[in-house]
This record gives sequence, structure tokens and C-alpha cells, in this order.
Amino acid sequence: MLDSLKDVIRKSSIHACLINTGGCNGCDIEIVALLSPRYDLEQYGIYFHNNPREADVILVTGPVAEQWKENLQRIYAKAPNPKIVVAIGACPLSGHVFNQEGSAIYPPLNEFIPVDASVPGCPPRPTEILGALLAVGPDAIAAKGRQKE
Amino acid sequence: MIVPIGPIHPALKEPLRLKLQTRGEKVIGAEIDYGYVHRGIERVMEGKTWQKAVYLSERVCGICSYIHTQTFTETFEKIAGEEAPLRAQFLRVIANELDRIQSHLLANSTYFNTIEHETLFMYMLSLREPVMDAIELLTGNRVHMAWNVVGGVRLDAKEVHLKSIMNILDNLESQYARYPQMFEHGPLLGLRSKDVGYMSKEDSIKARAVGPIARASSITEDLRTEKPVYKDHLDFNVIWRGEGDNFARNMNRFDEVTESIKIIKQAIENLPEGKVRKKVNIPAGYADNRNEAPRGEVAYMIETNGNLIKNISIRTPSIMNIDACARYMFKDVATVADAVATYASVDPCIACTERVTIIDEESGKVHEVNGLHNVKSINLK
Repeated sequence: MLDSLKDVIRKSSIHACLINTGGCNGCDIEIVALLSPRYDLEQYGIYFHNNPREADVILVTGPVAEQWKENLQRIYAKAPNPKIVVAIGACPLSGHVFNQEGSAIYPPLNEFIPVDASVPGCPPRPTEILGALLAVGPDAIAAKGRQKE
Repeated sequence: MIVPIGPIHPALKEPLRLKLQTRGEKVIGAEIDYGYVHRGIERVMEGKTWQKAVYLSERVCGICSYIHTQTFTETFEKIAGEEAPLRAQFLRVIANELDRIQSHLLANSTYFNTIEHETLFMYMLSLREPVMDAIELLTGNRVHMAWNVVGGVRLDAKEVHLKSIMNILDNLESQYARYPQMFEHGPLLGLRSKDVGYMSKEDSIKARAVGPIARASSITEDLRTEKPVYKDHLDFNVIWRGEGDNFARNMNRFDEVTESIKIIKQAIENLPEGKVRKKVNIPAGYADNRNEAPRGEVAYMIETNGNLIKNISIRTPSIMNIDACARYMFKDVATVADAVATYASVDPCIACTERVTIIDEESGKVHEVNGLHNVKSINLK
């Protein structure tokens, strides 16, 4: 009874936080485009707050730059349980075009924090990001919440 | 007292640390920490052919990605002493101005978000989506267009696509006029924006501010007026204002959108026939090239041996604008909330701003990486 009630609440109100770990901000503006009336992220109960302390979903863009090697874990620890991490774009997966000799980046992202889902693309279209968030977000958060108990 | 804001903060889209010096609630100064998104693009570009580096130049910045490839390819054309075919130059103008429209709308929407006027924030984003569609029709992609090559553009535009771009622009133009008026005459918006974050003309020259931020402080420079294709074929006005506050900076961007729509319409109507790409033989040499990005002047300095890039340096507009913001606009701001709004009004783009300072731990010697020839001498890894 209590579990199913918690499930409903966890699925219907999701707070997201965006962390740019050194990308070109192409993915970031596609995430901003998600807020626009055409895609309207908030109708699905996903709210952008950009505050790790109240985030359920952490969206990470960019190859991991020098400064983020330690800070990523700190930010991940600040987010309350249950939480999921979605990597947006090709950079957190492989470093993409930046992953060449002479660059100062440290991909992939899953060496630093556990990643639940990835959306490849440079940058992925807003519909793809939205699709991934809705496919993985609510159920994964609810499932993780049950596991902990 | 020092109030730190960032790098992850509800008001900021990109990571940066603002240290605001406050007395009571008044902000009297600021310090800015960069370094959160440094990737070392210039270093990666060295020793590569232009075909491999043009993708990297596109990914310097996602919002103004188009102008970076244009400036990069034009620099190589300048080294070869040739120009792209006229049709390609016109198509570049169309794409550049479409990019400027979406960038300005995004910048204004961010500003309205920080002064918590969500209605205008949503209006701006909904105006922006048709423009992104127009960009996609023309080039095939929404953000990273991969459209410029040395000697022209990759794809020719079809008549049917140009027609639908004209339709999109007509729709945009018919709706557009009410939004600047809402901002200009709204009493609350005026209270939050007028006389906040003032920068005088002298200060903006001292800070080397560029683009709409400088033009809002009585500077009438616009690099587009010096470009041959704009000068000879297209008719437009340089928008500038005298107030120098947040209100002026946003109004300046609002008015530039109207001018950009005018330029695109002229360019589509007068689009010449012909090829869109030609072969360019690149000799060894050096050239620098400047262009007007949505945020101001972007400059590329490239040295090549005819095949590989020997040295490259990129100067992007946001670094001067953010510096102007920290030094001159944050002198006398009433509250921290207003300071954040002032910061958003300069349209900061961190991804292209990133610089690195290397401090040798043993000797304490500081290498500042700037200019063309320093890049080569420092090994980052």
C-alpha cells in the first residue's frame, strides 16, 4: 500500500538538474528547448530546477573536464536517493571530437559516477531527450526507491 | 561579504563561479572563476588538416556554432586569396542571420527567466522553435550544421526550402512586434531592468566590450558593415542605443532580430544563380579574419603550411563581455537578484570563453595562454 503510493508520487513529480561538464553547450540549449511550449517538459511532471540537492534526475552533458573529476562525485552525493543519471550527447560516452591527442578531458562519464541511461547524438534532438527521460525516468526512480527499502 | 554563485546554480545554464562582493544587500564588485569547461580545442586542432579541424571549430560553442565554421573557412580562403562563389556567400548570410535570431531570442529568454517573468520566457522560446525549423530546412541540422567548407557551402538550398523559410519569417514578423512592446512598456519589467547594471561608453571601451553589449552603450561598431557581401548587396541599419543598462541590452537584441529578418528576406529575394562551392588550393601562410557573431566580434588567427594547421588562436566575444560585466556593471547593483539578471543580460556563453592559466608548482611561474605563439610552447598533458 505504502509502496504503491510512493511509486505514484515518485513517478509524477520529477526534478531535474543539468550539469555541463565541459561540452560545447549544444546539448544544453536543446534541453532548454525542451522547456518551450512546443515540447513542454512540465506537462509530464518533470521540473527543471538545476539544484542537485533536490534533484531526482541528474542530466550530464560534456566530456569530463579537469575540474569535474572530483566535483562530479560530490554533486552526485548531494542528490537525495533515489536518483538516476542520464548522460546526454556523445561527449559523456566517448569524448566525441574532443577525445584526441592534446585535449584536457577525461571521458567516459561512467568512470566517475554510475550512469543509468545515455542519449547519443551531437546534439540529440529535443524529442529524443524527452523520449529517453520519459522511458527511463519515472520507472527507474520508482524501482530504485523500492530497492533501498 | 562574498556571495558565491555557481558553478551549478538555478540561474546559470553553464558552469561558472561568480563571487559577488556585497555590502548589505548591495553588490559592489565581482570576481569570476573560469575553468570548468576547458577542453583544449586549439591544441587539438594543431597538426590537423582543415577537414578535421572544421568540426572542432564548430564545437567551440553550441549556440553560435555557425559563425565559428564560417570564420574558420573564410580564414583559409583568405590565405589562398580567394573568395567563395557569390551564391555561397549569400547562403552563408542567410544561415548566419537565422543563427543570430535564434541566439538573440535564447539570450532574451534567459534574461526573462532570471527576472522571473515566465510568460515572456515562454514566448521567446516558442518564437525560437520556428527559426530552428528554418535552420534545419536550410542546412539539415538544428545546432551543429556542418555546412561550411573551404570554398563555399556543402549543400545548395532548394527553391521549395527557401519558400518555406520565407513563410516562417513572414509568420515570425507578423507576431514579433508585440513582444518588444511588452518589454518596453511593461511597468514591472521596466523597474527590474531600467538603470540596472549601467555601463558608460568610456567603460565599455576600456573593457573592450563587443556586440550588442557595446552597442547598448553608444558604440556604433558592427563588423557586418565591413563585409563585402553585406556592404554591396544588402541594406540594413546598425542598431545601437544610449542607455547602457539591462533594458538597453535586451532592447538592442530585440531590434537586431527585426534587422536580421530584413536581411534574410533581401538575401533570399536577390539570391544569385551559380555554383555554391569551388576548389581552393591552400598555400602556406598566415591570415586573421573577423566576423560579427551574435555576441560580437569573433576572430580566428591561423598559420598553415599548406596542408596542416601549424598554429591557431580563437578569440571569442564573450570573454570581453563577461569581463565588462564583472568590472563595470557590478559597481552599483541594488540586490544580488539584480546582479544575476545583469549577468544574464550580457548573454554569457562559457563554452567559447574558456581559457586556461598554467601555474608551475615549483617555480610559481604563471603562463597565461593567449596570442598565437604561446599555444605551441605549452604542453597541457
